[in-house]
Amino acid sequence: MGETKNESRLLLFLVAALMIPVGLFVGGGGDATSWSFIIIAAPMVAFPIILIAGQIWNGHPLWTNTLKEGGIPALMTMTITLGMGLWVITDYIRGVAHIESYTVSHILSWISFDVMTHTSNQWVILPNWEISFGVWVDQTTLMLLFVATFLTFLICWFAIGYMTTDEINENRNHRFFAEYLLFTAGMFGMVLADNFLWLFIFWEIMGLCSYLLIGFYYWKPSAASAAKKAFMTTRVGDVFLMVGLLILYHIYGSLDFSVVFDDPSTGVAGAAVDASLLGWALIMLFIGAVGKSAQFPLHVWLPDAMEGPTPVSALIHAATMVNAGLYLVARMVPFVDVANGGVHGLEDIGLLVAWVGGITAFMAAGIAFVQNDIKKVLAYSTMSQLAYIFTGLGAALWFFNHDGDAMRTAGIIVLGSSLFHLFNHAMAKGMLFMASGSVIHEMHHAHHHLHHDHHDDTHSDVSEIPEALVSLVKHLRTEGLTLREFFDSLDIDSSRTLTVNELQSGLVSTSIVDDSTDVELLVNAMDRNGDGEIDPVELDKYMMDFLIGGKIESHGDHDDFDPQDMRNMGGLAAHLPVTSTAMMLGSMSIIGIPLIGGFWSKEGIVGHTWDAYFHGEPLMLGPALLILLTAGMTGFYMSRMWFMTFAGSPKSEVVDHVHETTPWIKTPLVTLSLVTAFTGLILTMFGAVKFLGGKYDHLEFHHGGFVEEFVYALEHAFLPSDPNFMIVGYTTILLSFIIGPWFAMRIHGGSLKEGSSAIPLVSWLVNLSSRPSKMDVTNMAESSLAKALEERLYIDYLYEEIIRRTVIPFALLSACFDRKIIDGIVKGIEKGSQASSERIRLLTTGSARDYILYAAVGALSIIFLLMGVSS
Amino acid sequence: MIDPGYISGLSAILFFIGLAGAFTRKHAIIVLMCIEIMLNAVNLNFVAVAMQTGDPEGWVFTSIAIAIAASEVAVGLAIFLSLYSTRETINLDEVDLLKH
Repeated sequence: MGETKNESRLLLFLVAALMIPVGLFVGGGGDATSWSFIIIAAPMVAFPIILIAGQIWNGHPLWTNTLKEGGIPALMTMTITLGMGLWVITDYIRGVAHIESYTVSHILSWISFDVMTHTSNQWVILPNWEISFGVWVDQTTLMLLFVATFLTFLICWFAIGYMTTDEINENRNHRFFAEYLLFTAGMFGMVLADNFLWLFIFWEIMGLCSYLLIGFYYWKPSAASAAKKAFMTTRVGDVFLMVGLLILYHIYGSLDFSVVFDDPSTGVAGAAVDASLLGWALIMLFIGAVGKSAQFPLHVWLPDAMEGPTPVSALIHAATMVNAGLYLVARMVPFVDVANGGVHGLEDIGLLVAWVGGITAFMAAGIAFVQNDIKKVLAYSTMSQLAYIFTGLGAALWFFNHDGDAMRTAGIIVLGSSLFHLFNHAMAKGMLFMASGSVIHEMHHAHHHLHHDHHDDTHSDVSEIPEALVSLVKHLRTEGLTLREFFDSLDIDSSRTLTVNELQSGLVSTSIVDDSTDVELLVNAMDRNGDGEIDPVELDKYMMDFLIGGKIESHGDHDDFDPQDMRNMGGLAAHLPVTSTAMMLGSMSIIGIPLIGGFWSKEGIVGHTWDAYFHGEPLMLGPALLILLTAGMTGFYMSRMWFMTFAGSPKSEVVDHVHETTPWIKTPLVTLSLVTAFTGLILTMFGAVKFLGGKYDHLEFHHGGFVEEFVYALEHAFLPSDPNFMIVGYTTILLSFIIGPWFAMRIHGGSLKEGSSAIPLVSWLVNLSSRPSKMDVTNMAESSLAKALEERLYIDYLYEEIIRRTVIPFALLSACFDRKIIDGIVKGIEKGSQASSERIRLLTTGSARDYILYAAVGALSIIFLLMGVSS
Repeated sequence: MIDPGYISGLSAILFFIGLAGAFTRKHAIIVLMCIEIMLNAVNLNFVAVAMQTGDPEGWVFTSIAIAIAASEVAVGLAIFLSLYSTRETINLDEVDLLKH
């Protein structure tokens, strides 16, 4: 276990890493875009380095304590990418250098090959078709680039604290950090790619890494199957995505953004684009996005994916990967933007996107009502919030596909709001996941602590055995001994067996166990033939069983205590001041409490989805109503999570022993708390929504003073000129701010235990939550609806049933075909040749005269053959 | 001049005598001698044809074949010697180490 104190000197490494982007900025010349490939290249290069170094120096003190098993190199890489990312962003916003909207720079134009293409009824080979890699920077890129670089940096920081202080991960962390870096390379590549093909390639790299990271604890069957589920489910979407890209290539003859977006209504060789064909392509792309962003009906993987380590949940399921789908949908805007050469007649795409978003938002929020696992609540919350953004993007697609300035302005605002909500949500949810990770981590450690205290008193707990064996394995590894050598060194009287005394003195002298440990238990467990002594075979067998059975891995989890279950928590506000504050702010941002974080973007989405309905699209009413209801439900389930975890009196004895430990976990939480609390407001004042929507290229004040801008933003949010907006806006606020949290307080609120107190930042909320009279919901919790929600509306069962009825019989059939026919042929050939060789070998008698006979017969037959030929 | 046909006939008879001996006899040295007979039957054929056509190639071939046959016999006898020293027999029926 790595030390966690006095580690600020490790931050010097980060300063060194920061020198690279700063050096390039000051002395390198050129603009940010020409160096921005470093953002992708740095993690790509660091990934194999950490993996190989981790294999070589595994367990080395320098590697474990100073480099944190790869965590510090990974964090250095993240520092470089963050620095480069900020440089790209500031350059773009200042409008300096060569970066303008839609600037493309090709970096990897050296990969080329011949492509076969079909033109006018014949196949033609285009020689030297270049695969080039370029960087495409526009507002959407910037926003996601900032989210990705900033959050991956903080999550990496958090992961150092979370991963390296847990014995389960010991000597495995290099794998975690290497996969982490490959994942970030995929994310940055996808964001920066200037080409749908590269976007797809990096998209798949992310898919692979999410599989690897979710399955990080691969020896746990649940984690292994969750990883498979995530991989296979997203793969369904990816197949459609690929088909969509092929259709796009068919239409435009290229997948470069610069070619495709230049004039989306003109296809290859000047042909007009067929709206229905393009529509199908966009639907296919959207299905890919649905898979990646876990929307209905491909949402089933996200909750299960919580099996991964918590930093992975934060990374993949909140901050970055799930946003890839949103990014792809946002990239679809130029196709439908009729004011800039988009194709008419694609309103249905917008409606489809909005409906999928609305349904998912409502469904996920409903399921989140009944979840007791803190990470599962966050998973469903993620799903629901992403669905919000999808609804907004759907409305944006709908608006952009209509003529008229009013429509276009509304489209810009709702597109900007959606992307802004993506930003706010990513920040808040990344932090919430990290905070939940902090809760889980501390709960786990507190439980571990309690457990140890407990059996140190009694000296009879069988769980001491794994402890001793873990140290034994460590001892063997550090000394470089084989098990047999170790055995011989303990066997003082050379009797080839170990008695209890020999084992005791040997284990104590190598300080594997201390004097107080009861070695007899160990002997009894190992002794197979019951003679009271251990022979080498018994020791060997026991160790093998132990290692194969994975008991080392599950060490520490001796009982059914679940550190993620909120029913074991309650009252944690007294023990986790930083975490509870962070979680409060994050939840407020997700709920959309006025003035905080997500409020500024959520209002825009809800308002403009209704706006689409008011503009005469009756089918928009569904998504608009659904997300309005979801706003209230969000208020309930987020508050429920907070109150269940932090308010009320403790629901298990573990809570009293919880305390925050490592600064590696606290720092990112504090940083993100500030970001979540204030950036929503600040960026709104800078006009982020319009900037992201694409109306202005640069962030700007348009009124002047800070105060005026603040007043303008408030006025816009609370006193809009359109009465419809006013009604929708205040209904949203009422539902999400008042009604949702009110019910959550009545059910789960409560003051802390006597004698404990929380810091003022959160104690007001705890006290407030104890005011309303309590509500009994036992009847509701036992209703069939609650049961259905707990079972995730049976969608998983439905899929399992469908797969069992279709895919599995087909798989069995093809397995049978493979075994009987394909393998049959191969095995038949093998068997036939073996049988014939059995016969042929009988001819080799070993007698020289037989060989002479064969030679003579052979020669004669050749002669006769030649005679036959010549005559 | 003798008709080459007779010489070829003699050569064929000699060849088949040698072949039959090589098939049937057990004693390794006799088998070796039979092989030599076959070889010389072929040589006889060469000489006969060369005599008829006046082409010297046949004589050249024959002299080379005789030289090589001599060395081959030397090798063969050496093998039999070492065989005898290890197995104490040169009966070909008892020497079947290369059996399947």
